[in-house]
Amino acid sequence: MSLAFLVPLFLLGIAGIVVPIVVHLTRRQRRNVVHFPSLMFLQKIPYQEQRRRRIQHWFLLSLRALALILVAAAFARPFFDRSSLGALGSGGPREVVVLVDQSYSMAIGDQMERARQEAERIFRGLGPLDRASLVGFSRGADVAARSTSDLTRLRGAVDTLQVSSAATRFGPALKVAQTILEESTLPSGEVYLLTDFQRNGWTGDEGVRLPPGSRVIPVPLGAATAIDNVMVTDVSLPRQMVAGRERVTPTARVVRRGGDEPREVVVTLELDGQELQSQTASLLPNSATAVTFQPITLSRPHTRGTVRIPDDDLTTDNTHHFVLSPGNALPVLIVEAAQAPSDVSLYLRGALGISDDGRFEVRTRRSSTIRPVDLEGVGAVFLNNVLVDGGSAERLRSFVENGGGVFVALGQGAGWPASAADLLPGTIGQMEDRLQGRGGRLGFLDYEHPVFEVFAGPRSGDFTGARFYRAWRMQPADSAGILARYDDGSVALAELRHGRGRVLVWTSSLDAFWNDLALQPVFLPFVHRLAEYLGGRAEAVPWFVTGQVVDLADPDALETAGLVSSEAAGLAEGLDQVAVLPSGGTISLPAGEGPRYLPLDEHGFYTVRRPGTDPDRPFVMAVNADLEESDLGRIDPEELVLQIEASAAPSDGTPALGDAMELRREDQERRQSFWRWLLVVALGLFVLETVVSNWLSRKRGGAAGGVAG
Amino acid sequence: MAAPRSSTAAGTQFLDPAVLGRIANLELLARTVVDGFLTGLHRSPYLGFSMDFAEHRPYMPGDDIRRIDWRLFARTDRHYIKLFEADTNANFSVLLDLSASMSYGSHSLAKIDYARYLAACLIYFSNKQRDRVGLVTFDHEIVDYVPPSMKHLDTILHRLDQAEAGRPGTLAGPLLKITEMLGRKGILVVVSDFYEEPDAVLSAIAPLRARGHDVIVFHVMDPYELDFPFEEASGFEDLETGEQIPVIPGKLKGDYMALMKTHLDTLQQRFTENQIDYTLLNTAEPLDMALFQYLLARERMSKAR
Repeated sequence: MSLAFLVPLFLLGIAGIVVPIVVHLTRRQRRNVVHFPSLMFLQKIPYQEQRRRRIQHWFLLSLRALALILVAAAFARPFFDRSSLGALGSGGPREVVVLVDQSYSMAIGDQMERARQEAERIFRGLGPLDRASLVGFSRGADVAARSTSDLTRLRGAVDTLQVSSAATRFGPALKVAQTILEESTLPSGEVYLLTDFQRNGWTGDEGVRLPPGSRVIPVPLGAATAIDNVMVTDVSLPRQMVAGRERVTPTARVVRRGGDEPREVVVTLELDGQELQSQTASLLPNSATAVTFQPITLSRPHTRGTVRIPDDDLTTDNTHHFVLSPGNALPVLIVEAAQAPSDVSLYLRGALGISDDGRFEVRTRRSSTIRPVDLEGVGAVFLNNVLVDGGSAERLRSFVENGGGVFVALGQGAGWPASAADLLPGTIGQMEDRLQGRGGRLGFLDYEHPVFEVFAGPRSGDFTGARFYRAWRMQPADSAGILARYDDGSVALAELRHGRGRVLVWTSSLDAFWNDLALQPVFLPFVHRLAEYLGGRAEAVPWFVTGQVVDLADPDALETAGLVSSEAAGLAEGLDQVAVLPSGGTISLPAGEGPRYLPLDEHGFYTVRRPGTDPDRPFVMAVNADLEESDLGRIDPEELVLQIEASAAPSDGTPALGDAMELRREDQERRQSFWRWLLVVALGLFVLETVVSNWLSRKRGGAAGGVAG
Repeated sequence: MAAPRSSTAAGTQFLDPAVLGRIANLELLARTVVDGFLTGLHRSPYLGFSMDFAEHRPYMPGDDIRRIDWRLFARTDRHYIKLFEADTNANFSVLLDLSASMSYGSHSLAKIDYARYLAACLIYFSNKQRDRVGLVTFDHEIVDYVPPSMKHLDTILHRLDQAEAGRPGTLAGPLLKITEMLGRKGILVVVSDFYEEPDAVLSAIAPLRARGHDVIVFHVMDPYELDFPFEEASGFEDLETGEQIPVIPGKLKGDYMALMKTHLDTLQQRFTENQIDYTLLNTAEPLDMALFQYLLARERMSKAR
């Protein structure tokens, strides 16, 4: 190992150290020139120039010279040439990186065991100066052992390799290998890729740039024969209310890839670990079928369900998990004026009452006064043409700030107290008739708003057919959002948020007198969306896919995961949580200010609870494997290697030995990068020199003499 | 070193209302002395015809016989011509030195700027009292010449605005030419930094006085020239010759100050001997002080005549 320079020509720059000396000896006295009107008097004064050919401040001169030497040396790109060490081994010391596929397709046969054996064989073949790393990868990559020559440690790392539930991604693993090789000081690098080479794991543009001089050695581990793989890809869970009880009819989609002959497959439905139903499906090669089970009645929350088929070569995709909870009907309160006609809410009540799954529980109060008991347990309130008094408005304010939603439909007898005017999204003005022609229409809808987003697509609901003959004018507040406008630009539907809740004002009525919206087909989904939005209802996700992450501090995320809003808010509070993994392990999620992310890496059921508690029906999330891995189509290992190495090899083919040595020298210099440190030190010296010379200059003041050096 | 020029119209920068306000008060004072006659503020050095008798001189052939004092002839039996003093408007010219040394300025105002302001104020003031005003700028030769006239104020202010110091200068050559150019006697104000030996300066200016002009000399100096407050050892470069010499101010200051004092004292003495008003102006001091000195000098001239 010796010190060498990549561009030694720059060392000529060291000759520059004579510059400060020459400058000092020749120009020092004239560094400050003062323009003066006339030297008439100065020339008359007897003056004898001091002999200043003597260097006074050797320290300053040394600083300057040393800084220049460092700059010149930095440009010459110094490095420690370790290539001579290569002569000790057969091909020089190597940096070996072993990448082992841990995706769940490696569970087929003895692929994982073979991978371990191959890794150990590679490690046994290491030379005395070689170093090796072990990286397990699937969707991501984990370094089990990094750049070591300790065989014991490497073998221990091999023993930790396990099959995961994730799919194959070659990119992250190769980038880890690239980083290890770039950081290495050894002259050559080898990357062993131990995998079954699934085509889905390589997109072809992963941005991998292995350092020059390194090579990829594929070690295929896939089965020699084609695999006949059957998998459960999806389960649909439609709900229906039958005799006041909620029933779910699971339908599983079963797919078969490969095979030569038709095959019978028994598909089993399990609920809470108990086998409930079984059906036999007949599958042709490369075909799919749907298996519908008998309806089941949901009675308990967080019911764990699994659709299972018998084990085959690839077992992970033979089960599909889901979680079901009984649908919670959203309590909706309709408030009417006491003297209003009995059918004033006919259409509204009818729309809320029509649903397969009984998603709304409608209550009606015929009084302008709203009592606190009326609002208990209610998610959304529809004020249909009601003259609200001040006390009721304040109760509604508290209701909204705590997360409730209020819909105010203005009509002939509607009114709102001035004391609570800030609760509305605007100021109610005059009533206006639109009797010209065929009345007014809705001219603008905010399709990005949750109420209208389901109507955004073509043939997803037509609001333009509705005619409006009378409406109240509204001057919207600055903080209000306008959800809909009439064709003359006036406000039809406006929203204002208060606390955790929201207030929506509809400037026309919900009956068929002021408009005929209630007679349009779009009225029913419109009212449903309104009620769901006001009640803050979120669609629950029955399962997740491996690789997803859930923030357990976010009530919305928990609600999406299947918790009702009150439970979600309770669990997300700043209290400790613990998650039990499908494999039996636990993850502690201590309370804190920030998010609490739970990575869903295993397929199965994740249970989340507070430490020390054992609830009867704990919160459960179902996680299924990424089905991309079930596609066992393969990529040719040599093709993959060529694609990886194409970005690293010179464009004009295999480099000659001399070029290779040059590449190695450049590679060594790039890895060591001493020039950066030299420049930093030189910069520091220049700064020190400036400080010292200024100090000396100030010290000297107006006295004779200058700064030496 | 030179002060930045303003972008205002030519000449207007010189007419500082505050300065002119002070001068206006002095003019009122002068008017009181000479019975409020504007034309009488300056007594003309010319002898002419007026009600104020001056002297008699023997009749020479060719003199107008109407000017013979017959009463004196009756008493003395000799012909004498009666001469009177005339109060006429004077010729007032400023001789401004544009040598490169005038471009020096240790602060915001260079000597040349100070000199230009001074010249502009004097010319404006003189023109206001109906003097004919003129301007001569010079370095080692005549750079610009505006003959005295009642109508040349704007031209002079414009030329002053354009005047720049930048070339080497001497006094003898240009002033000799000026002596020849200015035929009619008048008031001459010489503004310079006089970086020449006192004898050379006097030999250049004395002919003007000998021609009968009233000469007023303003010696414009920068405070750094007078006090030499430099500290750092530096190379000093002559603005006119470009010559450089190494200077250690701490060692040379005493000698420099002594030489400068000798120079100034000598100039003061030699100008006084030649009946030339001499005023040393420091560019760090207000300009109106110089104008005040000028008016005092003019008043003194008027009384002395």
